[in-house]
Amino acid sequence: MPLRLLKFAFSKNHPAPRFFRALEQPKKSYDVVIIGGGGHGLAAAYYLAKDHGITNVAVLERGYIGGGNTGRNTTIVRSNYLTPEGVNFYDASVKIYEGLSEELDLNLFYSNRGHFTLAHTESAMRTMRWRAEVNKHVGVESRVVGPDEIAKACPQLDLSCSGHAPILGALYHAPGSIARHDGVAWGYARGADRQGAEIFQNTEVTGIDVQSGKVAGVHTSRGYIATKKVLSAVAGFTPRVTKMVDLDTPIVIHPLQACVTEPMKPWLNSILVSGSLHVYVSQSSRGELVMGSSLDPYEVHSTRSSLDFVEGLTSHMLDMFPFLSNVKIVRQWAGMADMTPDFAPIMGKTPVEGFYLDAGWGTWGFKATPISGKTMAETIANDRAPEMIHSFRLSRFEDYELTGEKGAASVGH
Amino acid sequence: MKLLHCPMNGTRPISEFVFGGEFRDMPDPEASTDKEWAAYVHNRNGAPGLKKEWWYHGPSGTWFIAERNTLTEEVLRTYLFGQETAA
Amino acid sequence: MSNRIGKKPGEWINREATLKFSYEGKDFTAYEGDTISSALWAAGERVLGRSFKYHRPRGVLSSANHDVNVMMTDGIDTNMRGDVVAVRDGMKLEAVNTVGGVKADRNRFVDSISPLLPVGFYYKAFHTPRRFFPFWEKMIRKAAGLGIVNFNFPRVLKRKTTTHCDLLVIGAGPAGLTAALVGADAGLEVTLVDENQYAGGSLTYDRAGASEAASKLSELIGRVKTHQGISLHTASYAAGYYTDHLIPIVGENGITKVRAKAVIVATGVFEQPPVFRYNDLPGVMLGSSAQRLIHRYAVKPFHTGIVVTANHHGYRVALDLLQAGVKVSALIDMRELGEVSVLEEDVVRKGVVVHKGCCVYEALPSKGQMGVAGAVICTYDEATNQANPSNSFTLECDGIAMSAGWAPAAALLYQAGTQMRYDDTTQQFVPAKLPQGVFTAGKVNGAFALEQRLQDGERAGNEVLRYLGKSAPEVNVERHAGSSPSHPYPIVPHPKAKNFVDFDEDIQVKDFVNAAKEGFDNIELMKRFTTVGMGPSQGKHSNMNAIRILGKIRGLPVEKIGTTTARPFFHPTPIGHLAGRGFHPHRLTPMHGWHEEAGAEFTEVGAWLRAAYYHKPDISKQEVIQEEALSVRQSVGIIDGGSLGKFEVHCAEAAEYLERFYAGKFASQAVGETRYALMLDESGVVVDDGVVARLAQDVFYITVSTSNAAAVYREMQRWLQIWKLQIGLINVTGAYGLINVAGPNARAVVGKLAKHSLADSDLPKGGIRETEIAGIAVRLVRVGFVSNLAYEIHVPAGSAVHVWNALMDAGANFGIRPFGTDAQRLLRLEMGNHLVGHDTDGLTNPYEIGAEWAISMDKPFFVGQRSLKIIAKRPVKKRLVHFMLEEGFSGEMPFECNLVMIQDEIKGRVTSISFTRSANRVIGFAYVDPKDVDPGSKFQIRTDSGAIVVATVVKAPFVKLERGA
Repeated sequence: MPLRLLKFAFSKNHPAPRFFRALEQPKKSYDVVIIGGGGHGLAAAYYLAKDHGITNVAVLERGYIGGGNTGRNTTIVRSNYLTPEGVNFYDASVKIYEGLSEELDLNLFYSNRGHFTLAHTESAMRTMRWRAEVNKHVGVESRVVGPDEIAKACPQLDLSCSGHAPILGALYHAPGSIARHDGVAWGYARGADRQGAEIFQNTEVTGIDVQSGKVAGVHTSRGYIATKKVLSAVAGFTPRVTKMVDLDTPIVIHPLQACVTEPMKPWLNSILVSGSLHVYVSQSSRGELVMGSSLDPYEVHSTRSSLDFVEGLTSHMLDMFPFLSNVKIVRQWAGMADMTPDFAPIMGKTPVEGFYLDAGWGTWGFKATPISGKTMAETIANDRAPEMIHSFRLSRFEDYELTGEKGAASVGH
Repeated sequence: MKLLHCPMNGTRPISEFVFGGEFRDMPDPEASTDKEWAAYVHNRNGAPGLKKEWWYHGPSGTWFIAERNTLTEEVLRTYLFGQETAA
Repeated sequence: MSNRIGKKPGEWINREATLKFSYEGKDFTAYEGDTISSALWAAGERVLGRSFKYHRPRGVLSSANHDVNVMMTDGIDTNMRGDVVAVRDGMKLEAVNTVGGVKADRNRFVDSISPLLPVGFYYKAFHTPRRFFPFWEKMIRKAAGLGIVNFNFPRVLKRKTTTHCDLLVIGAGPAGLTAALVGADAGLEVTLVDENQYAGGSLTYDRAGASEAASKLSELIGRVKTHQGISLHTASYAAGYYTDHLIPIVGENGITKVRAKAVIVATGVFEQPPVFRYNDLPGVMLGSSAQRLIHRYAVKPFHTGIVVTANHHGYRVALDLLQAGVKVSALIDMRELGEVSVLEEDVVRKGVVVHKGCCVYEALPSKGQMGVAGAVICTYDEATNQANPSNSFTLECDGIAMSAGWAPAAALLYQAGTQMRYDDTTQQFVPAKLPQGVFTAGKVNGAFALEQRLQDGERAGNEVLRYLGKSAPEVNVERHAGSSPSHPYPIVPHPKAKNFVDFDEDIQVKDFVNAAKEGFDNIELMKRFTTVGMGPSQGKHSNMNAIRILGKIRGLPVEKIGTTTARPFFHPTPIGHLAGRGFHPHRLTPMHGWHEEAGAEFTEVGAWLRAAYYHKPDISKQEVIQEEALSVRQSVGIIDGGSLGKFEVHCAEAAEYLERFYAGKFASQAVGETRYALMLDESGVVVDDGVVARLAQDVFYITVSTSNAAAVYREMQRWLQIWKLQIGLINVTGAYGLINVAGPNARAVVGKLAKHSLADSDLPKGGIRETEIAGIAVRLVRVGFVSNLAYEIHVPAGSAVHVWNALMDAGANFGIRPFGTDAQRLLRLEMGNHLVGHDTDGLTNPYEIGAEWAISMDKPFFVGQRSLKIIAKRPVKKRLVHFMLEEGFSGEMPFECNLVMIQDEIKGRVTSISFTRSANRVIGFAYVDPKDVDPGSKFQIRTDSGAIVVATVVKAPFVKLERGA
């Protein structure tokens, strides 16, 4: 047993302080107001303080911290993207994640499992090689592997997928990991709070005050707050916030669903993804299989569940793992994903001066939490986006310079 | 599974339909600036609310318009394109 | 069967049928109808499982289908629930998640080090130094989890059915039974489901030692069972509520998806344990659990017991215990005033000592904590919720029945979007505003007395009738009167803790206090930090107490604390049930059977199965593909293209329509001519390509790629609506078969069977004509995609096999050979033809693939044109070129998607590459820097291993164009 747990055994009072202060009433003004107390918003607050010394910051959360997509995603962290910009960006995130438990002094259970993207068709194999080659080029460990290597890592997998979709190979991505999603939000919240940022839960932003094209303040359920800089980091609520500043974006909201089984003893070490079967699965440290599928096919701004989702997912799970027939699904849930046309985020400055956008995170937001916080903090501090996120700028759509991630996602299967 | 009413085929489960996105009027390609055209092509009204949407009934190949609240998923009415007043 | 008592009226066991089974290596008998838990309890077993975290011994708690501390494996299946799964003859059971057996579990040491494991301990340790974390992680993962999955468990295919009804009633207790009868009497088609083996709800067990409930039950059941309008499903639970009243009903053999016009949720309540030290010992159980054991399974819960209560129900439990022959040594009522009713008199008359204003301060464990030896009783101050242990006494007992309150089984109501409010008279969340078509009745609605529940069922049934447009009376239901069925705070603090709130996750009162101290003081954060309610029972017995405790910590009323979100499923639901049979539909061409006989290997293309190549004994796939291609180059080959999308556009505005839809020109197209057609989306990206043939002035015939056909047709239909042009658009994909005969001898083969001349002058390249082949009217197109000389024969599907066979016969002398999609891909590459979706991706514009010739910017409009005008102003970043590797190339063969590099910069990628025997070269397509596009330019491809291969840009086609006979 680690020594640091001993104090709990020998102390009468629970010797652990609050993670963050219980604040009720915001001040009249802040240097920066961050809308959204999820991983991204809290990370931005943390890095504003840590990297730039900006601590007069309020984080406003409509519900409770980490209660949006941070607490709803399936926690996969990886960087095996298709474009060099994308790979670089997510790789920087992975690097921060690897040391984040120590940095935040909170065990995020960052668990390196290795990540297989299974290919069931020749066309998927081509895309895997494309990604592998770009990854290698950028210095990220990804490679195309054959069925033998998949079988070695996951002997329980039916490589024929019940004869319906035989696995031809996979993109193996060694750094692929899972983490405890709540902890990421809590750790950044604690880190931000300790450096002076103020976090307000149950505080809803009802309007943004823009004067002569510049942000002047925000209206909230706890009153007006004056500020010149506002960061929107609200995932599925982005269109509602951008509407407050009359900003048009390509973002549409689709639910993304997930489900979890009852716990079982560990058997699945790797993270597996199958594009053709629309399945991704990993086994959590608690022993549950955490599973997701593709986006819901139409726009809905709610986190309701659907039966179709779980029927389709389980059917494909059985193609991969026929022996799971009697394993039970305990819970299903959904998040609201803010989708962009090119499967890449929208980050940086906007035409509204002082309004910064950290959005379009679709289904890939959790893995980018640290680096998005860091780069958005830099953007806000300098009023200039760093080169690393240049290709994610909002104006890329006007420029017809969509990111290449769309390429792979649309290659015929 | 949600139900949707196809104006030609009646009420069917939503798995029989394809979502075609929000109905949007195309601006005049000649009259619009590059910027306006790029905005038409890429931007969407992502905020929740009552929207006119394209839906397609796959088995019968029927496009129609649904007026749907994207917050509550409630469908107010459906009709064939151009038959809004008749519906 | 030492604890089995005499026959109870309506008991669920069949004493005629004795079953043998074993548990942890020891033999037992059971009756048919026994659950694993009831049989073991009847046999005197007390330790039925170990808890998830601390490995504490556990027995039965609720007997209400959510006792997740009792999970078994029979060596085949795992995580089988003791209170749900019936005993089968010959079962060999063991408890899951133990090391060395349930009694000797070596992991029980964890309980003794529990002070080292404070709430959220795993966030607080194991992460420094970083390099040790994998070690700790392995330990923690090993300790976590319940059963071990059997990798040889067979794939189970469960049936799924869908039904529709007027009214679905969930829960066949008194309220649900009554509501169903009201609906059915008025002519509704009613489906009534209940998760238990038999209908009746609390009438099957909550009897207070009397016969009133049993007779009411037989009256209701008698009517329901004989009613034509009611379809009753027992042992089936409503797993979730989904939009538009879709409710999956899960039973042993499958799922019935019920779509109802109206739903009545009459799911009752879950009894909640009062919280005191060692309330988890085997032998401490909920009062309703004791009643279930007695009346359903004729099992005596214990011999000498005490009842701890905070409501009316505890007295009913005491009477049932007495009737079962249990010595009830005391009834401990946490309420200062106790129960002022005839029930109390009854209990006292039967010799039970009632201690009011008292609580169980702690249960006393027997050796090894394997059971209860007694209880420490002390006074309890309801105002401060403090126990006073200085004023205590001890009672010996081997069991404790607990009845302190309830939580509504409202998960389905929450999922449907019901607003709930906290009702002070019942100390329970009850529905405040129900969604359209959703109704509720009974205890879940805050109606507790039997009369009141029957009335509430009647009210709900009549409300449904009115909702469905029938006239029906309004029924008034009396509100709950008298003392509350639930105690507002049945929590007894104890300095030594082990007073459990959540038995799934071993969460004690102090864990909540400490979580709040650390800032996790709203219900959702508290749930996530403590994991309360996240175990397999999803908090059925723990969420309500957690809310009460948090309210106490924060000094807020329960209503302000709120609840966590209820998600499907109501009970954990097997993957095999949800998956069902898993259909994998495919479309097949008319010649599919022929291909099968010819040894085809099939590949999925869009919705279709197509022949990829035809196996030949002792020849590798690659060799076969080269041979198939070579036969086209040297003589003649035949391929089934029936899966291509085929559309007809009719009427006067057909040309105008195509001008708008495709990038090229069609108004000027001559009858009998075909043209290449490039389809863009509104952003100017290449989406598909196809061939447009003009059959008449006002008839066009279009073929498009197989995998895009459905989407292309869909877009065609949409634009047609928007443009409102007067055309007829017909999808004839399935109506026509398509056979492509290609190679220098194609004309000779097809000519043998054709009614008309195939001379160049009669049918030039790119021409189409209607003629007859082998006596069948067909559309014949002279194409050039895979071979300079080739004919596409579009033949009515019903005659396709006939024509195919005729062509095979006619080609026999020429050695005609079928070829598949793999050879086709090589052949088109040799011809220098790109494939959309293979050589393009989701961002490719026409300029990048050199398709300027296929777009007519001078047209007034076509889809994508306006965006192309913008794109044309920007520099092209990459271009698709044809390339060859050096003659006799013997280095590391590049693959498709290897990158094209200039120094250290990615410039593009290989999209197609293959060795071709025809040209005896490696040829391909690649995206390169726009400055490297001239024939003769060289560029570098980086292979998998990092080696550089130099390729040369060439002009297509790669093969010498044959003239053809």
